[in-house]
Amino acid sequence: MGGKVSCTLGEVKNRADLIVYWGGNPAECHPRHFTKYSLMPKGRFVPNGRKDRTMILVDIRETASAKAADIFLQVRPAKDFEMITVLRALIKEQPVDTKLVAETGLTLEELTDFAQRLKKAKFGVFFFGMGLSMTRGKHMNSAALLTLAAELNAFTKFVAMPMRGHGNVTGGDVIMRWTTGYPFGVNLARGYPRFNPGEYSTIDLLIRGDTDAVLVLGADPGATMPQPAIDHMVRVPTIVLDPKVTHTSKIARVHITTAVTGISAPGTAYRMDEIPLPLKPPLKSPYPTDEEVIRRIYQAVAKKPPLMPPVRPKVPRV
Amino acid sequence: MSQTIFTLKQRPDVPLEAEVLTPDVVASLSHGEVASLPLFMGKRQFRVDDFFEVNGSGTDNLVFHGDCGRVKWIGRAMSHGRITFSSHAGMHLGAYMKGGIIKVGGDASDWVGGEMSGGLIHIHGHAGGQTGAAYRGSMKGMKGGTILIEGSAGIELGMRMRRGLIAVRGPVRDFAGLQMKGGTILLMSGAEIRTGAWMVRGTIISLKPLKMMPTFSAGCVYNPNFLRLYTKSLAEHGFTTPVDAWHGVYRRYTGDTSVPGKGEILVWSGPAH
Repeated sequence: MGGKVSCTLGEVKNRADLIVYWGGNPAECHPRHFTKYSLMPKGRFVPNGRKDRTMILVDIRETASAKAADIFLQVRPAKDFEMITVLRALIKEQPVDTKLVAETGLTLEELTDFAQRLKKAKFGVFFFGMGLSMTRGKHMNSAALLTLAAELNAFTKFVAMPMRGHGNVTGGDVIMRWTTGYPFGVNLARGYPRFNPGEYSTIDLLIRGDTDAVLVLGADPGATMPQPAIDHMVRVPTIVLDPKVTHTSKIARVHITTAVTGISAPGTAYRMDEIPLPLKPPLKSPYPTDEEVIRRIYQAVAKKPPLMPPVRPKVPRV
Repeated sequence: MSQTIFTLKQRPDVPLEAEVLTPDVVASLSHGEVASLPLFMGKRQFRVDDFFEVNGSGTDNLVFHGDCGRVKWIGRAMSHGRITFSSHAGMHLGAYMKGGIIKVGGDASDWVGGEMSGGLIHIHGHAGGQTGAAYRGSMKGMKGGTILIEGSAGIELGMRMRRGLIAVRGPVRDFAGLQMKGGTILLMSGAEIRTGAWMVRGTIISLKPLKMMPTFSAGCVYNPNFLRLYTKSLAEHGFTTPVDAWHGVYRRYTGDTSVPGKGEILVWSGPAH
């Protein structure tokens, strides 16, 4: 695996001369992204701004972002993994099957040209969205693009960064990473962190019905998750902490109204490039903050007798 | 033959973690000691006899009755003995196993034989995803041994496997043999898409046509002799294969050029002339 090669948006602004958006529609979903960070701003090594940059959009349909792109590559739905794998072969000048390449919706010439542009860039960046990470192949599609970005570093400087959705998803990942060593899908039941997406990730746990309670914090899974997962949240006690009544609150046993972070509660938000930004609230709220509610629940639980007896099981070493 | 029989009293709401239920741990213990071994349900620690009725002791032949689909890690790192399930088995069955035999009458869940290095797992129902795979962040999946599945199997079958054999009679989902580094996968009813993606070495044999990745190239058509040896070896375990398949000709694809790798995919293309 390649791991994630990343940078800050400041570096993108000052250096990136090739910008690839993959499976996302920033013109409509991240409207300030072009002008603030990626495409328009003049930077130290791209003094002419937009004129010094090339923008390539890869998506399954011609969205509003295609107008901003120099090159639009229309990939067939669920063929992203094949396309990225072909690019990985092409940058290493390895042979590929022309007929099967055509099934991605793009010709070998188009992909060869794309691969050449990737290699020739001075500083390239992939921004990928849910069109890549949430279609057939899921985590392997993201892994493919991250690996391609890592491998391109044999020729030039290349980074990959996910375009985040609502809420402070990046913050959640970052905090989990420096507290447990893993970004998501972490199980702490045995007293130490275990990481296994597919086993401990939220949707999988809920669909299999592996939990006997659910605490929802800063999210609205009732509006976005598949129906079997929602059904399980209805079955078990679900507690929601949110400033407003969400879809999840309606199926929850308990809804605790909390202050809005950034407006009436202080805190730290992480930008999509993992830069922590302090939030200074302009207003006061009669409601407690998320942190305060969690701390009070934790204090109440801590008063109960410990669940873990000191005896540890004998497990054969591997 | 003496047996230690575990009968599940009721299906747990939250999955149980039962890594102590292996012949290596149980064989040398008395009945009372086995009954008091710890099981974990979420954060809480229980005893084996809270969930299982235990009969017999002092043997490395374990039998599980009842739907153990929510009991994880049974047979973890076992090196000898035998485990038999009359019904379903849960996640991580036989993970890190080094030897011995596991037989499952029903279905098994994800990560069957994860990173195993020896022994035999025979599943009569369906298996979940990541069979014989590497755990997240680990570079090598199964390093030896045999997994036989009579039903279907899920995604990422044999992900990053290094050695050993996986044979599946039913259909297999996406990413079979993902990042394979060695070993053999036999697909008797084919697989969905992206079979052999990013493979470095190893062999995938399919008796049905496969949807190939664009990074594989067709080589020759031939009859590989080693397949007959595999037939004999599989027949010893009661896993029969159609005679036609072993005497037919195979189209050999090689890839994945994106790595670049030297893996091979053999697709049956008709009986020999």
